[in-house]
Amino acid sequence: MEIKAPSLLNAVPPYGHVITSEKWRTSSLIQSLKGGGVKILFEKELGVADFHLPNRSCILYVSECDIIAGNSYKRKLVRYRNTSSSFQELVLVENTRLSEQYFSAVQKFVVFDLGLTLLPVSGQTEASQLISQIVHGEGRENPFRRRSSSRLLDPQVLALVQRVPGVGRVKALALLQHFSSIHQLCNAAPQELEPIVGQAAAQQIHSFFHKPTAAGT
Amino acid sequence: QSSSVSEPPAPPGTVCILVDSRCLSGGVELMTSLRQRHTATLHVCSLDGSYFIVSNRTAVERHSQSDLAATQNRKRLAERVNSLQGLFERVCLIVEKDRTKPGEVSRPFQRTRCYDSTLTALVHTGVRLLWSDGAEQSAGLLADLARLEQRKGQAIAVPMEVKGPHRQQALQLYLSLPSVNYVHALSMCHNFSSIGQLINSSIEAIQKGGCMSRSRAEEIYCFLRYSCDSFLMNTSKAGKIS
Repeated sequence: MEIKAPSLLNAVPPYGHVITSEKWRTSSLIQSLKGGGVKILFEKELGVADFHLPNRSCILYVSECDIIAGNSYKRKLVRYRNTSSSFQELVLVENTRLSEQYFSAVQKFVVFDLGLTLLPVSGQTEASQLISQIVHGEGRENPFRRRSSSRLLDPQVLALVQRVPGVGRVKALALLQHFSSIHQLCNAAPQELEPIVGQAAAQQIHSFFHKPTAAGT
Repeated sequence: QSSSVSEPPAPPGTVCILVDSRCLSGGVELMTSLRQRHTATLHVCSLDGSYFIVSNRTAVERHSQSDLAATQNRKRLAERVNSLQGLFERVCLIVEKDRTKPGEVSRPFQRTRCYDSTLTALVHTGVRLLWSDGAEQSAGLLADLARLEQRKGQAIAVPMEVKGPHRQQALQLYLSLPSVNYVHALSMCHNFSSIGQLINSSIEAIQKGGCMSRSRAEEIYCFLRYSCDSFLMNTSKAGKIS
């Protein structure tokens, strides 16, 4: 086995471009990608992947033929997975009338066994729509990106203290003024709680924290 | 015990899945299939959204294809996914083909740009997508996921029911800890002898007892020791400070 130009395995195309292997040159997928304003760079030694996209993802295309013809696409998928590229590896699978009976087996293999991401398409036209969406959508903000929320913890602590039976907002605030954390509150003796919330509530709060919950230990 | 016993072909035992009560409407077929065909143990409870929990770290939501294609659902879906990703290490979305009503001819699904960009965004945020033809197949996917997680040692291992008023109250209290999902809260209920024991536990003990990641356990540990500013709390009456 020869390893050729390994750097190409991690080649990230510039914005608005797609890198693809020569064999796609005349395909309808490439034609409609061009029609959609995506610029194409052809590359002979791309490795297993069919496309490299600017957002550091790559695509392996599994066609209807591949699926119906049988097992060689599986070997390709495994090789694809084992290429240690820094890309997010996507697999486009043609799910057509002819191939749909195999789809769930393909999905099991791709998602459960290999842990790759599968996106079904009905054919090359849909694939090109999806690819150009990935290419053009790159600069835009992703609404699903998790914002690291730096919420204030104070209201959450207050809410938790109100989960103690018999403690409403007023008592919770009063308690937290004396015992500023849940840890302190939990370890306060009933006598320490008494001046703040009265004897009955003090007992109740203390026993709530220390009454056994687990059956076993 | 002999170590030469070959592995049984089918995974033995059942898998445990928690189901939000909101999944029940429109989910009868799926639930029946899960119980009967896949011998899964289901427990219906009240989660903070309509989703399934198949392991200590994995939540699964079920959406129809047209749901994902509609622009007006995008914001809500993003919020849902965001909140699930805060609670679970792994979030899966089962995308189900739309059901055709009896007598109706099934129309091929029209892919929209919104649909493609939603898929792209989901994939890019690390949400795992699974594709299904209908309720029956979705049930199979849920069971497969639960089994996969079981093999990885992440199965829900504590009893899914919490009995008695005090333990119920403890469960509710655990659920109001930051970044704690229902399975974490359940595990804490069963693994700590009292609420006080959890509060006084080390990070390692919280991680173990809550069946959770180290970072989550650290977050809880710090939260329990977080010193409130009573001034801030009084001003936070309105709920938001921005």
